[in-house]
Amino acid sequence: MKLTRRQFITGVGGGALGAVLAAACGVPEDELLMQSKVGMPEDVVTGLDNWYATIGNSYSTGEGLVVRVMEGRAKKIEGNVDYPINRGKHSARSEALLQDLYNPDRIKAPMARVGQRGEDNWEEIGWSDAMSRVAHQLEQIKDARKNREVVMVTNPSVSHAALVAERFISAYRGTKIGYETLENTNLRHVVKDLFDQDRLPDIDIENSDYVLSFGADFLNTWISPVRYMRGYGEFRQGGHHRGKLVHIDSRFSMTGANADELIYVEPGREGLLALSIAQVIIDEGLGDSNAAKELTGDGQIDVGQWAPDKVAEIVGVEADTIKHVAREFASKDHPVAFGGGLAGAHTNGKSNLTAIYSLNYLVGSLNSSGGLIFNPAPPTSDLQEVEDNLKIGSMSDWRDLVRDMEDGKVQALLIDGVDPAYGLPEAIGFKEATYNVPLIFSFANTINETSAMADLILPCNTVLEDWGTSVPMAGPGYQVVGFQQPVVRPFFEDRGEELGTKSTSDALMGIAANLEIDLGLEGSTFKEVVESGAKQLFELGRGSVKAGDFRAFWTGILQRGGWWDTTSIVSSIKPSVKQLPEKISDPEFTGPDGVKTFNLIPFSSSSLGEGENAHLPWMQSMPDPVTSATWQTWIEINIKTAEELDITEGDVIRVLSAQGTDKSSTEGINVLAYPHPAIPPGVVSIPIGQGHTHGGRYSKGRGANVMSILGSKLDEQTGSLAWAATKVKLEKVDEWKRLPKFENSKPDLARDSEHRIIKITPIKEKH
Amino acid sequence: MLPGDFPSIIPTKPNRKDMVRLGVLGITGLAGLALVVIILLFVISAWLGRPLSMFGYDEGPDQPIVFPHTTHVQELGLDCTFCHRNVTKGASATVPSVGLCMTCHTVVGDESAEIEKLRDYHAQSEPIDWVRVHRLPDHVRFNHQAHIQYFSEKNNILPSAVCATCHGDVGNMKKVRQVEPLKMGNCVDCHRDNNAPTDCTTCHY
Amino acid sequence: MDGKKWGMVVDLDKCTGCQSCVVACQSENNIPINDEPLFNQRRAIEWIRVERYWEGEFPNIKARFIPVFCQQCDDAPCEPVCPVYATYHNSEGLNVQVYNRCVGTRFCANNCPYQVRFFNFWEPEWPESFHNQLNPDVTVRSRGIMEKCTFCVQRIRRTSRDAKKNGTSVEDGDRALNPACVNACPTGTLVFGDLNDSESNVAKLTESELHGDHGRGYHLMEDYGTNPSVIYLKKVDEDAELEEAHH
Repeated sequence: MKLTRRQFITGVGGGALGAVLAAACGVPEDELLMQSKVGMPEDVVTGLDNWYATIGNSYSTGEGLVVRVMEGRAKKIEGNVDYPINRGKHSARSEALLQDLYNPDRIKAPMARVGQRGEDNWEEIGWSDAMSRVAHQLEQIKDARKNREVVMVTNPSVSHAALVAERFISAYRGTKIGYETLENTNLRHVVKDLFDQDRLPDIDIENSDYVLSFGADFLNTWISPVRYMRGYGEFRQGGHHRGKLVHIDSRFSMTGANADELIYVEPGREGLLALSIAQVIIDEGLGDSNAAKELTGDGQIDVGQWAPDKVAEIVGVEADTIKHVAREFASKDHPVAFGGGLAGAHTNGKSNLTAIYSLNYLVGSLNSSGGLIFNPAPPTSDLQEVEDNLKIGSMSDWRDLVRDMEDGKVQALLIDGVDPAYGLPEAIGFKEATYNVPLIFSFANTINETSAMADLILPCNTVLEDWGTSVPMAGPGYQVVGFQQPVVRPFFEDRGEELGTKSTSDALMGIAANLEIDLGLEGSTFKEVVESGAKQLFELGRGSVKAGDFRAFWTGILQRGGWWDTTSIVSSIKPSVKQLPEKISDPEFTGPDGVKTFNLIPFSSSSLGEGENAHLPWMQSMPDPVTSATWQTWIEINIKTAEELDITEGDVIRVLSAQGTDKSSTEGINVLAYPHPAIPPGVVSIPIGQGHTHGGRYSKGRGANVMSILGSKLDEQTGSLAWAATKVKLEKVDEWKRLPKFENSKPDLARDSEHRIIKITPIKEKH
Repeated sequence: MLPGDFPSIIPTKPNRKDMVRLGVLGITGLAGLALVVIILLFVISAWLGRPLSMFGYDEGPDQPIVFPHTTHVQELGLDCTFCHRNVTKGASATVPSVGLCMTCHTVVGDESAEIEKLRDYHAQSEPIDWVRVHRLPDHVRFNHQAHIQYFSEKNNILPSAVCATCHGDVGNMKKVRQVEPLKMGNCVDCHRDNNAPTDCTTCHY
Repeated sequence: MDGKKWGMVVDLDKCTGCQSCVVACQSENNIPINDEPLFNQRRAIEWIRVERYWEGEFPNIKARFIPVFCQQCDDAPCEPVCPVYATYHNSEGLNVQVYNRCVGTRFCANNCPYQVRFFNFWEPEWPESFHNQLNPDVTVRSRGIMEKCTFCVQRIRRTSRDAKKNGTSVEDGDRALNPACVNACPTGTLVFGDLNDSESNVAKLTESELHGDHGRGYHLMEDYGTNPSVIYLKKVDEDAELEEAHH
């Protein structure tokens, strides 16, 4: 068709007119409405916001949060300024609790399995039906009593939710095991054996001037990162001095990226390196001479075997480096040494951590400012009861459980908000063993690998809809009980009493009530249990909330988001010095023979955690701090090694571990290559978190699960999984996929070396 | 033919074919004109944000319940803020909740069918979906509280005396209608008159 | 308005690159979900982003992090190129993007040396239930609109309005005033406030670090002469050469 100029102009004019008309008509219908609600609570004013304090559980050490609520909808999360752990700061993961609450893939009602186990076909049933089913089936097991029939797998928390679970499971004389994907078993053992402490210590980074960290990605994901980062901010420029951070690692973590000095160590040699540092300090008489004497058993232990010159080659660190670190460490006023994560994830993990933490004896940084601060016992008998009965599973426990499951000894499995089918190495065989368990009940928000194997899924309230308490896994050095309150009504409340979600604790109490089992709890709802916990605190008559009567105390606790008592410190008596180990064994690895292999180091993702956040789009789209990669699973491989192997970014790499030899079912995972300029050549690293076979639109069928290919080597002393002891071989698959990352979304700002974007200065101290 | 040299136009007697053509052209022309006028009216009323009053469309829309402001304001002497109680607190003036209506209407107004409607809403716990009369586009942030406060302090008057500035004498309306165009021009004029900020981010963010 | 000039100080020595600010910003400012194709198209939107630069070679390699966001330049290159005055400088030192004026020429983004302006190539979409989370104080930008960091102007407006309501004044460091990223930042890298108020933290830091003798302050890409309202404090590194310090 021939278009004249005139016709074209007419067309454009007509189009513009049409657009104006369309725009004039196009007001969405709901905006032409103005609604008189049936009733409005007094504190709700349209357009005004309320901020409610609560606790988030995005890390093992929950953060105190305040949530902005407008007309019954949660809008924004920020840190609670009062709460001792994070003092107003918060992590990206806490922010994403909003997307957990409003997730489009949440389970909306109790669901019963239809068809075969694991087929992922469900039908909705009512709550009373679901609870009576659980109650009756558990009752039958109880009648036909055998050994170890009811097992509950849950989060390893010290809280009133755990109290309810504890009482419930003991009513059935079952077992409750806490589940951690990357276990801290070795660390707990070391803290107990070395310092005779029952809980993890706080690390007073804020007041420290020299931090020597081994393998723990403490600024990113380890134990209580927001607390550590807050301390780190002060450690950097806040105080009088600028502290120095020396980080020892086998990969390039975010913490390593921020270190003043990053020392690469051969995997599994962290302990030997620590002993070598100790040797220099003892040999040169730099540290506390009494401690040195006791550490060496008055010279019985031959520390000379660890002299830098002798071990330098084995640990992969130059002798001079070891010496200068030792000298600096010993010369500072408030140095602290700690380790965890990777350093404890080898077959000699416990010995490694023992050696690392022993360094603190030499510089007197135990239970003192700028060092490790011990944490007191929980303040009330309820919470003490939970702590006493707290059993956190090590890999050998999981192996035992799987064996029992396979032998048909486990009659019922209750899974409470965790996902062991995803996080346990496939070599353990947990998922297959679930086929031998007659009953599996799962409490979950969204369908995950474990709940997909269940007979009945009981949908639980998210953090923002639930009551609760939280004792931090690593407290701030004094007693803290965080209080969690529902900041919004349960999202599916309009589905009625029978459908929608419930608090897990309420469901457990309802199941028990069904058969008139007395759990010995005060009150018939979980809220009342939490309130009774507050009553115990009130009766102590001390702490951050002071009130004449309990009602005022209760309000005060909910307003401030918790209770704490800064005077309740562990008395400053120093623990007696334990001898150094006589020798430290070599780390062992499993891997394919006869080919070029790499040490595989899985790491906890700063956004997805250990897989629990994969259904949250904010977390999926949050760039990894170092690589800026998103939405996929990548493998970090040294850039030079990649060049030698002709691997470029986005190449699909098949990662194969040796477990094919003992478990023929597993063949390996496909991941995208990321040639990394800072990872050692012998190491490859893969984030945990993707590779879900179940779950919502954002997580299902995306990336790969590195946990599945891990070998099952255990720590020689504690039975903890040596999750960094797997060697893998890499195969290039003839495939390429773009690695979604934020880097290069925008052109580099730094044009050349003259135009630096990040300027640096050698000034040590500011005045 | 040379440039500028035009052939002379000789009028000829129109034949029958031409007459028909002319007729058809005239009718389509008229129809086209009518269409253009309708479209223009449409555009103008869309531009002004309300129906043109000259066609009698100045009544305001029908509401699910005929709510006579006259009865409540003129006869009973209720203050605007008695029902629109958040107008002095926050951004939106807000319509009252059904519960608030029922504080009186549980006992008052047995004879009216409209009040029965209200009671039905209450009995069935259903919200009332009113037809919105005053609407600002999404990219405008208007805050009632700030304006009420400014004018009541400046003129030393009650908050409820400020409302009429933009909303007209609602107390005398049987059906609420929009009085001011509420276009940006209105806002900016008034802001200038009162030395209020006219920075874009005052209202647009 | 009352002679304010909003500014930010970014202490690079504290930034760990943790991305808390990025997610806090997405939550506060209704930024569309950056799904996988958007990253591959390089159209992901992050009003504040953390850039990572490599320095050196393995094993002596360092990663350095820098949060980059709109510098609210006094002499902003983006402003004069907008044909419809959708971007301009206001009296509080903010570089303003007026969504309802923007026609999407993208001239401003092309002219911004800091690359902090983002174009909505697609209509933002959320699953229905996520609509509950959207911040009612911030406009959801439609397709074809340019957007960028506003210093959370909605919070500035809200606090100054509330201050007027209660007859008080806006306080320095008020958490209701601070942009979402500042409140989130776990290490305290970001400090926000009024540069014209000599008692404010940003003003004090500017005085000592930017104008002081041994200060660490500098402007990003100073040689462009854009006069930003954001001051960066140099990263401290013992190995750094001294010349660089006295740049």
